[in-house]
Amino acid sequence: MIHLSLPAALSALLAGIGVYGVLARRNAVLVLIGVELILNAANLLLVTAGSRPGAPLSAGPVLTLFVITIAAAEITVALAIILVMFRRTGHIDLTAVPDLTDDEPDEPDDPDDPDDAGDPGDAEDPRAADRDGHPRDATREPAAAGEALA
Amino acid sequence: MSWIVRMIVVLPALAALAGLLTRRQRGLAAAVAVSVSAYVAVLGLIQWIAPSRTADIDSVGSLPLGDLSVPLHLLSDRVSGLVAFVVALVVLGIQVFTAWYLRDDPRYGQFAATVSLFAAGMLLLVQSGDLVLMLVGWEVMGWCSWLLIGHDSERAAARRAAYKAFIVTRVADIAMVVGIVALSVRARSTDLMAVLTATGDGTLLTIGLVGVVIGVAGKSGLVPFHDWLPDAMEGPTPASALIHAATMVAAGTYVIARLFSLYAGHDGARTLLAVLTAVTMVYAALLALVQTDLKRMLAYSTLSQIAIMLSALAAAPAELGPGAGIAHLVGHAFFKALLFLGAGWLSVLAGATAVAALRGRLRPTGALRWSMGIGLAALAGVPPLIGFFTKDTVIDAALDGATSGGGLRAWLVVVALFVTVVLTAAYCTRAWLLLDTPVAETGALPDLEPAVVAEEDVAVVTASDSADDAEVERVHAHGHAPITLPAALVVSVLAALTVVGTLFLVGLRGGVHVGLLSALLSVLLVAGAAYAVWSVSDRGRLDVADRVPSRVREPAVRGFGVDTAYVGVGRAVTAVARLVVALDRDVVDAYPRAAAVVARAAGRAGERSHRAVPSLSLLSLLVGVVVVAVLGVAAWR
Amino acid sequence: MTTRDIVFTAVGAVTALSALLSVTTKQVVHAALWLLVCLGSLAGAYLVLGQELVGLVQLLVYVGAIVVLVLFALMLTRAPIGPHAEIDTPWWQRLVGALLGAATTALLASLLLPLFSGATADLDTPTTTTPRVAQAVFGTWVWPFELLSVLLLVSLIGAFAVSRLVLHRDGGDGARHPGTVSAGARSDGRG
Repeated sequence: MIHLSLPAALSALLAGIGVYGVLARRNAVLVLIGVELILNAANLLLVTAGSRPGAPLSAGPVLTLFVITIAAAEITVALAIILVMFRRTGHIDLTAVPDLTDDEPDEPDDPDDPDDAGDPGDAEDPRAADRDGHPRDATREPAAAGEALA
Repeated sequence: MSWIVRMIVVLPALAALAGLLTRRQRGLAAAVAVSVSAYVAVLGLIQWIAPSRTADIDSVGSLPLGDLSVPLHLLSDRVSGLVAFVVALVVLGIQVFTAWYLRDDPRYGQFAATVSLFAAGMLLLVQSGDLVLMLVGWEVMGWCSWLLIGHDSERAAARRAAYKAFIVTRVADIAMVVGIVALSVRARSTDLMAVLTATGDGTLLTIGLVGVVIGVAGKSGLVPFHDWLPDAMEGPTPASALIHAATMVAAGTYVIARLFSLYAGHDGARTLLAVLTAVTMVYAALLALVQTDLKRMLAYSTLSQIAIMLSALAAAPAELGPGAGIAHLVGHAFFKALLFLGAGWLSVLAGATAVAALRGRLRPTGALRWSMGIGLAALAGVPPLIGFFTKDTVIDAALDGATSGGGLRAWLVVVALFVTVVLTAAYCTRAWLLLDTPVAETGALPDLEPAVVAEEDVAVVTASDSADDAEVERVHAHGHAPITLPAALVVSVLAALTVVGTLFLVGLRGGVHVGLLSALLSVLLVAGAAYAVWSVSDRGRLDVADRVPSRVREPAVRGFGVDTAYVGVGRAVTAVARLVVALDRDVVDAYPRAAAVVARAAGRAGERSHRAVPSLSLLSLLVGVVVVAVLGVAAWR
Repeated sequence: MTTRDIVFTAVGAVTALSALLSVTTKQVVHAALWLLVCLGSLAGAYLVLGQELVGLVQLLVYVGAIVVLVLFALMLTRAPIGPHAEIDTPWWQRLVGALLGAATTALLASLLLPLFSGATADLDTPTTTTPRVAQAVFGTWVWPFELLSVLLLVSLIGAFAVSRLVLHRDGGDGARHPGTVSAGARSDGRG
């Protein structure tokens, strides 16, 4: 026996915290964490509603499972976009003014790009700036090293 | 025989091409130019003696223009034969003279080639039996005149004169083209015979004839298009001789003579022509009297003489035909070519063309003195020179017209003709006295030296500095090269033709037709004018023109600011064009461009909104969502 | 207050607290780790609510996969280790965010609490809901379930395609972030 107003209140609280998380962060990954919190608030609400006696078709738990699946799909795509943004601009700061200029159409690809672009490790684009001064693997990017030293 | 007709046109054109190709080899270019013009002159002689009297000589085949028949035929008859021969003869003389005159000019080859092309244009016009071919020849001459006048293209004045000639004649050519189109449409054919025999729309006929008159007024320098011709003296003297003597300015006379039977039946166009010619001949003769430059004086005399030719066509009775005008064309071709070439020779000797610099320079020059004397006498109309016969033929024709119902129009022409006779005799006497009276006899040079005028506006060709500056520079640079025998021969032959040239006109219907009374009157007028000038100028010691108050004379030397008027017209046209452009751009185009501006602004706004900072966008989005949700919940409650 | 109520209150408090920490911490990696705690305790909340399948899936998928992905993303985007003030938006944005969060909570609470007030779930009978859920998934919900598999496949391919997207920014980076690729930073990193 459990009073369902407790999980409902927790759900509302989680949603509010998630909204704050979305708005308070400038790092895109952390914004994504806020989104996850909102999703979980929705999940908790679904489970709570499904726990009511006489809930039909087991809709609560089943839809929760669906939402979890969709969340997995969503975060995959979102992280891919974040990685592309990082490779392109060198940061994932959402407070920066975006640059919408077109790319030069006839620009040749990076020589090592086609092989391992799908690999998450490829996110270390030679031109992707290390904005916090973290070490970069110079041995894997000889061309970039030469370019920077030149 | 028809091949001769074609050859007379084609050969000079080919000579122009060949001359252009051989322009680097000076001797070769001269040989090509002279030999071809000699050959063309021989062909012209043959054609004149035995014209084929046909107007059906194919040139390049007819143009397939559907309803409109454009046969492009050439013709050959007595008139065209005579004029073509005279043109060929004058061109030959000019080519020979040019070979000496431009002896030091690096661009002699181009000049000779242009003269050849010019001759081709004139001969095409003379022998065309088709209005389209006529127009082609007409325009070729217009283009070549631009090239010839602007021959010394290093000088701004020459360039300006060339453009002035081109633009002024081009403006008049608009009317010419309109007129030719109207005549062709009326006859449904451009063939000359069809045009002449067509009957029909009177309005089209009026438009056609008036248009042609305006076009002719442009090329022949009738008022108000006259001012380009004196400026055209910027060209080398042979070019002036060519343009003035037998070709371009005289071409208008030939065109109207060809269309004479149409004009004879149309009083309106003839009245317009009569008024224009009467005004021009008197006005130009008056200006010629006060000119301070020999070449410009000759230019004004050309204007006057061309107006005399055209006045014959304006006033002659229909049954007399255009013979009087053609006769004066021929006579004028001889003596004006003589005068120009003589003036060129004299300018080489003296190093200037300004009258002040030429004073008394004619006295010691032998053959040249005789030639110039003959030329001036012919211009004045002293019997038995050709000028006397042709001018009195014109007077007689005009009197005929006046007495046979020509009315006010013919009387106007007659009066103008007699006034012109007096003025012409006056300025010829003045020129002769100035050129021939030895300087020693003139005593101290008069203080009223017209050189003052020269200091002023460079753009307006004025007065006392020589018109043909390039020649002056040439003389100063290379000294006084003695004239070659052929060139001297040319001048002498032209002088001889001026004396005996009347024989040329014997075969021409209405060519020589001198009334006893009018001839006597004009001889008396000439003598009186000459005596008056002689006595007023104190037997040649003074310049008659100096008696004219300088307040009148200085503007007269410049043609009374007509040049400024032309510039004003040009500016007005440009201003109107600018206005139209402004209207088009700022009023008509405003609506489409406003749409574009709005679209662009919308695009910018959209772009700016898309460039928004993501975190701010998220913030605003969530604010909106929450507000909507609060409202929704509040409403639901 | 039943035992379950007390347990749920405890678990819920952990969940809410860790969620709050994950959105306020100044250390990027800690945020992900607090998310881990939050999601894990939420799985515990599901268990308390009697949905053990959902709780397990939550553990498997969220804690096991998604948080790991987030950690990977943080690594790949060179997230700084240690406290960092630059991960938060300006204070006024955070203030508005807090207001909005509070508003959301208040809104939802004002909606949900009346709905669930007095509602109870009887979970003390020892029955499992898993067979019913399984029957529902493969019976009533089978088509949405299959569609979801397609969605997963599409998202997989989409993520692959997006990450293959080569966006060039030639010369621009160095110009816009001078000093980030400085040789000194590099040699430090190497050492």
